[in-house]
Amino acid sequence: MTTLAQPRPALAQPRLVAFIDRLATSPCCAAIVGEGPLTAALASRVPIVFILRGNGLELAPIVERAHEAGKLIAAHLDLVDGLRADHRGVAWLARSGVDAIITSHGQLMQAIRDEGAIAIQRLLLSRRSHLDTAITALSRSAPDIVEILPGVILPQVLKLMPEFGVPVLAGGFVRTVEDARTVLAAGAVGVTTSSPVLWDWEASL
Amino acid sequence: MTFAGTLPARRPLPRILVADDGRHPIEPAVELDHGLLLRDTDLSVVVARAASAPIQLAVDIDTVRGLGADEAAVEFIVRRLGIEIVLTRRSATALHAAELGGLALLHVLAFDSTGLHRSLDGHPRTAGVGTVVSPGLVLSHMSDGELASLSRPILGYGLMTEPDDIDGCLAIADGVVLRPDPARHYASMRGIGARPEGNVLTTVDAR
Repeated sequence: MTTLAQPRPALAQPRLVAFIDRLATSPCCAAIVGEGPLTAALASRVPIVFILRGNGLELAPIVERAHEAGKLIAAHLDLVDGLRADHRGVAWLARSGVDAIITSHGQLMQAIRDEGAIAIQRLLLSRRSHLDTAITALSRSAPDIVEILPGVILPQVLKLMPEFGVPVLAGGFVRTVEDARTVLAAGAVGVTTSSPVLWDWEASL
Repeated sequence: MTFAGTLPARRPLPRILVADDGRHPIEPAVELDHGLLLRDTDLSVVVARAASAPIQLAVDIDTVRGLGADEAAVEFIVRRLGIEIVLTRRSATALHAAELGGLALLHVLAFDSTGLHRSLDGHPRTAGVGTVVSPGLVLSHMSDGELASLSRPILGYGLMTEPDDIDGCLAIADGVVLRPDPARHYASMRGIGARPEGNVLTTVDAR
């Protein structure tokens, strides 16, 4: 039982390296579900914006706007409207310009990488039995990054898991600076949060 | 058809429900305010437990192999087997269990605040229908508003292993679900059932 291992060879991908590097100084990413929060997120310190809702077929203008603001974009394939969580859906998002694609479907990780995007696998953990199956699933799917939800309980969860050697993002109920500090100290490389109070937080402060 | 009122008042939720898949029958010590949660098991095991278990039973009806989640299934569990606590992800199932005089607990997934609110949209919010929150560990991180939105009784379910985490959950929830090992550890750490014969949870043959 331990926290996270050293980054895997996949981290050598330049795009993934840049993604992780951005989190080093500003580890909190904005998780948004609409246009309103997008404006606030783009004006904040967050390095990466996670789009969890909206029309997946019309993301290109948003991605362009975010890139102009110096932000990276990760889009959630399973949650945006209009797309199916399959290879074609992956291709659509990638060609919309997103930098990373999130999905709970481990079998899509390679397809996401093949499209040139960073592959983030979302793990939804509610029971102990999910932890055991999650490790097996991760070994097969080999994501670039794992996002664990609910992230606020990451310290307890990692104690129950064997080392799996993939950078971890923590999302869900992380709402305060104290929450963020705790999950980062547990080994997360970043936090995804819808709480604007964290969007301007610098870990070094 | 409503049976509410024709049965005795609903029993309170035990503080601890020990998860039981039927493979390793268990019986918590009498000192523990406990029950057994039958889950991930077969219908035949549920029937056997109902006939023989000496403590209060609950069933996670969606995970019982061979059992539906329709009205007939609920009536079988509550009226025929006398298992009064029913956990389910389906609002209609929960409502029917409550109408029969049982205590229904609607399962909501709390991975993030957005998902929690969406999950609670389907809650019937009526007498006899409480809330199961998974993972239970997250309860102590919820806002006052989120906690107020949960219909009681509240059952914390999932990922609780350490006694302090269990206590934290019990400070908010009315009960928790524990696997046998954490339940045994919790009981020993809190001085419950620390008797010479050893195990707080004693194996019994319930098949």
